[in-house]
Amino acid sequence: MAGQNFKGYTAPRTADGKPDLQGVWQVMNTAAVNLEDHIALLDMPAGRSVIVDPPDGKIPYQPAAAQKQKENFKNRAKLDLLNQCFIPGVPRVMYLPFPMQIVQTPKYVLVASEFAHTLRMIYMDGSKHPPDVDFWIGDSRGHWEGETLVVDVANLNPDTWFDRSGNFHSDALHIVERLTRTEPDLITYQATLEDAKVFTRPWTIRMLLYRHREPNAKLLEYECNAYLEDAGKENR
Amino acid sequence: MKRLNTLNLLVASVAAAALMAFAPVPGAGQDKQKGGKGKGGPPGAEQYGPYYAAPVTPGEPLGRTPDGQPDMQGFWTPRFNQAVFEVQNHPTAQPGIGPGKGAIVDPADGRIPYKPEAAAKAKELFTKQIYLEPEAHCFVSGVPHAAYQQFGYQIVQPAGYVLFLTEYAHTYRAIPTDGRPHISPNIKLFRGDSVGKWDGGTLVIDTTNQNGKTWFDMAGNFTTQGIHVVERITPVDSNNINYEAVVDDASIYTQPWKIAGQIGRHPDKNMELMEFACVEGNQDLVHYTEGVGGKAKEKAR
Repeated sequence: MAGQNFKGYTAPRTADGKPDLQGVWQVMNTAAVNLEDHIALLDMPAGRSVIVDPPDGKIPYQPAAAQKQKENFKNRAKLDLLNQCFIPGVPRVMYLPFPMQIVQTPKYVLVASEFAHTLRMIYMDGSKHPPDVDFWIGDSRGHWEGETLVVDVANLNPDTWFDRSGNFHSDALHIVERLTRTEPDLITYQATLEDAKVFTRPWTIRMLLYRHREPNAKLLEYECNAYLEDAGKENR
Repeated sequence: MKRLNTLNLLVASVAAAALMAFAPVPGAGQDKQKGGKGKGGPPGAEQYGPYYAAPVTPGEPLGRTPDGQPDMQGFWTPRFNQAVFEVQNHPTAQPGIGPGKGAIVDPADGRIPYKPEAAAKAKELFTKQIYLEPEAHCFVSGVPHAAYQQFGYQIVQPAGYVLFLTEYAHTYRAIPTDGRPHISPNIKLFRGDSVGKWDGGTLVIDTTNQNGKTWFDMAGNFTTQGIHVVERITPVDSNNINYEAVVDDASIYTQPWKIAGQIGRHPDKNMELMEFACVEGNQDLVHYTEGVGGKAKEKAR
C-alpha cells in the first residue's frame, strides 16, 4: 500500500511537538459498503477487502456469528441503524463516505464527522476508560508512539455495525487504532478488532485517509434525521 | 454494561420538561392552587428549569493558547440557559413554560421586536404547532441557541479554531478564526456558517447561512434564512465569560435585538463530556400530545 511504502516521511509538528494530523480527511474506498471483498449491488459499489489480517481478507467469524451476518445482510435495510441516522460507532465513522476534520490540542485529538455532526473525542491525557457505561461512539483514549497515534477504543454500544452489509460485533468489542501521517496528504489508518463473543481471533483493517486539498475545504453538514423526516419516513 | 442512552437522560432533562408540562397541564395559577412547585399535582415547567449553571466565582487571569488566543478551554454552563424554554421575558406561565426572564436586553421590554405577521406566526407555532419544536426532533440547534444550550458545553481551542462541544446531541460547533470568508450564500445549514476573529479580548463571531429550520427556544420563536447573528464572547477571567448576541432579520423584525448573559465555568475539574444520544432514543415527540393547544403530528410510539 502506498502509504506504507513511503519511508522516512516525518509529519509536521503541532505547537506541543506532536505529529500534526489536522485537516479534512476522507477515505476513497467502499469499506462503508462492506469491509470484505464485494461485488456491486444497487447503490453499493464493488470494492476490495480492507482486511489485511487474516490474509484471506475475511472477517474470522465464529460459526453462529457468520450465520447472523448473513441474516443481517438479508435484512440490512431494516436492521442497519445507520438507516435510522444513529451514531455510526467506531471504526465505521472513520470510513463513511463523508469528510471528517481532525483537530488537536495537547489534551485531545478530536474527530468531527460531517455525518450528523458526529463528534469523536480521543483523550490524550493518560486517563482510563470509564467503568460501567457504553456509548454509541465508544470511549477513545490515545497516546503517541513516535509518528503514530495509537487509540484504544472500548465501551462500545453493541448495536452498531461495521458496514452496510451486516458485519457486526458485540459489547465485548475492543479496538486498537493506529493513525500515521505517512505522506503530507495521507494518513494510514489501521484498526485491530477483537471480540471473543463474535470472532475466532483478532483481525485488522487498513486503509488510507486522503486529505482534502481544496483551498475552501470545510465541513458542511448532513443532518440525517432531518432528511429522514423530510422523506416522510419513521425513524424506527 | 449499563446503557447510558437517551431515554435515561431524557427523563432528567429537556424532555422531562416537555413530558411533564405537555401532559394536560393547567396554568401556573392552577399549579399553585394544587400545592405548587414540587408538591404533587400536575407540575409546572418552572420545576425543570433553568438547568444547572455554575455559581458566580471570581477566577484567575486567563492564560493564552499556543497560537495566542485567550484560553477559555474547559467546561462551561450558560447562566442564561433558561432561554432554551423561552428567549423572551414571559412573566406569566404558558403551556409547558413557567414564568421567567428570557435573555433579551434590547429592546428593554425583553421581547422580540416582531413585525405583526411574524408575531402571529410565532404565536401560531407555539399554541397550535408545538410538535414542530426542532429539538423534539433532535435537530441540531442554530445560532445563538447553541450558546445557551442546556447541559452546557466544552470549549476546545485547537490552532485556528474555537470549538463548542455540546453534550446535547453530542455535536460540535466549529468557529474558524483564521480570517476565512463565509461559504456561498447558496448553502443553508442548521448550524449556519460561523467565522470568528479576536478583537482584543473579545471573540467576535459572525454567523450567516442558517436554514430557517431552527427556533430560539421551545416557545415558537422561529428563524428564517435571513437571520444574521453577531456574537461577542468576552472572557472576564478563568471562571466567567460575558456573552452578547445581536440578531437581525429584516424580514421578520422591526429592529435588531440583543441577547446578553454570562457563562460560568463548571466547578467540577474532572468533567468529561457524556453522550446525549438524541436520535437514538428519542421519545420527545410523544410528549407533544393533543390537548395542549396543538394536535400531535407524530404518532405516539
